[in-house]
Amino acid sequence: MEHKRIAKLLAVIWSIVAVLPLFFGSTNFIMHILIMCLIWSVVASCWDLIMGFAGIFSFGQVAFFVIGAYASAIITAKFGIPPIFAVFLAGVIAAGIGILVGLPCLKLKGAYIALVTFAVHMILEPVLKGGIGRAIGTGGSRGILTIQPMNIFGYTFTSSEPVPYFYLMLFVAVICSGIILAVIKSHWGTAFLALKDAEEFASCLGVSAFKYKLMVFALTSFLTGVIGGFYAHYVGMLSTRMLGIDLFVTLMVILVIGGVGKFPGAIIGAFITIAINEMLSPLGSFRPITLGAMVVILVLLLPDGIVGMFEKIFLKKKKVRSLN
Amino acid sequence: MLKMTNVTKKFGELTAVNNLSFEVEQGQVFGIAGPNGAGKSTLYNLITGLYPFEGSVTFNNGEIRGLPPHQIAKLGISRTFQIPQTFPSLSVEKSIGVGSHFGSRDGFEHDYVEKILRFVNLIDKRDSSTGQLNLLDKKMLMIGAALATKPRVLMLDEPMAGSNAKEIMKLMNLVQRINREMGITIIIIEHFMKVLTELTEKLLIIETGTEVCCGNPVDVTSDPRVIECYLGGNND
Ligand SMILES: Nc1ncnc2c1ncn2[C@@H]1O[C@H](COP(=O)(O)OP(=O)(O)OP(=O)(O)O)[C@@H](O)[C@H]1O
Ligand SMILES: [Mg+2]
Repeated sequence: MEHKRIAKLLAVIWSIVAVLPLFFGSTNFIMHILIMCLIWSVVASCWDLIMGFAGIFSFGQVAFFVIGAYASAIITAKFGIPPIFAVFLAGVIAAGIGILVGLPCLKLKGAYIALVTFAVHMILEPVLKGGIGRAIGTGGSRGILTIQPMNIFGYTFTSSEPVPYFYLMLFVAVICSGIILAVIKSHWGTAFLALKDAEEFASCLGVSAFKYKLMVFALTSFLTGVIGGFYAHYVGMLSTRMLGIDLFVTLMVILVIGGVGKFPGAIIGAFITIAINEMLSPLGSFRPITLGAMVVILVLLLPDGIVGMFEKIFLKKKKVRSLN
Repeated sequence: MLKMTNVTKKFGELTAVNNLSFEVEQGQVFGIAGPNGAGKSTLYNLITGLYPFEGSVTFNNGEIRGLPPHQIAKLGISRTFQIPQTFPSLSVEKSIGVGSHFGSRDGFEHDYVEKILRFVNLIDKRDSSTGQLNLLDKKMLMIGAALATKPRVLMLDEPMAGSNAKEIMKLMNLVQRINREMGITIIIIEHFMKVLTELTEKLLIIETGTEVCCGNPVDVTSDPRVIECYLGGNND
């Protein structure tokens, strides 16, 4: 998609989202879901940037999110650093780990990168629960039960009053999507695409695969870590349950619905998926199966997601118009 | 200018390049030929830093073995690939821009990209996706992107393969202009002997990674060892 179109679409999406509290502001339950939509929209957009756009099959996004969440919670608790600074430190920590994970991935291709990055996801749970985790303050298998709420300039955001936190998250999500758009537009974006399409040729034209691949690892894990921190200070408690298959699958559905490599499709995907997920909750234990079946059907019907579908319709209209 | 000394590359048991030594002079058009699987493309992959190897390659007297491909590109060594590589996600103009932005010592120059677009005859297709191009245009695009890095040496890997007589004439003319007008040293791998004798000043023949002979193209093509290696091996 053209950069201008992405910017326009972002403006439309965020304006619609911004007025939602006018309708749902008094229903805490719905506001909570909307906050979650904003949080997952950032995680999914980052995943889309590294996987859909840069073509690196990183499956570590949930792990970076959890790392950011734990890091921010621990930093505020242990060092008395205010949450608003802690989330950035959490992002830096996630980015550092992201670079460490990215290094071995430089030598690997495709599915092997998926394996390495998913291994990080797999070992994170035992690490957080085990001796190392307890030593740094993860609370072992009990998790962290009290996390300081977000506080900016003396104003405390609480989950019992979700509207202010909603706008804070909206602000963060807008900034993150702006950063992603800026990256896609810049020569970084060109380098990512060139390396994805033909790595040998790109590097023989002077593109450093080392630099740009590590950059995309660092950036996506930084943003994911930061939003993980915001999540922690919002929900107020953490456990390794997030590392279960549920969240991972939900994120995948978000990407599939939004369209892989179709930013800002992931944002639309997040709102649709989380909403559907909530509507399916009466199904109880059948919910994951239903969601799974939806993924299969969607991949078959809408290989490029919602945004891809709109693009096709738009192109057809254009063709019809030019034929007339 | 570009000097190999005892360059050897092994893929497991297979020795793809075997103790090769030769030098390409500044301003030359240097040809490389040999039967299929002789190790010609592998040699390019070694020079451009894609594979590790034994021996030494110096460029303007500086060792380049061990440097990553993007740094070798910045030094002024550029290349095309035998099987065209393009960037389907990028437009023609953006693809050539990649070379200018990342590979040129002067950084991105819009006017230069414009000039290259004209030079490789792709100015009318500047906004097309590179995936939509035909084979000749894909090759032109690869050459264009390589030229956009402002190289001192351009290495072409079988640029004429799969082209008809008219296209071959066009490509030969282009190669000569790159060499004469732009002053860029050329190394060219080619199967067509006629092309090589017409274009090159020096010709290296290799077989199973080993030098068969090297010298003036007229002498080389009449050398009995070369005739034997061509008639004995794949004759295409
Ligand atoms: N990456 C690789 N791994 C293993 N073997 C390789 C690799 N690249 C090339 N080879 C082998 O090295 C030998 C030389 O291959 P190369 O592609 O350099 O030949 P060539 O002279 O370019 O041939 P052609 O005229 O067919 O292009 C071949 O036997 C090939 O199978
Ligand atoms: Mg070859």
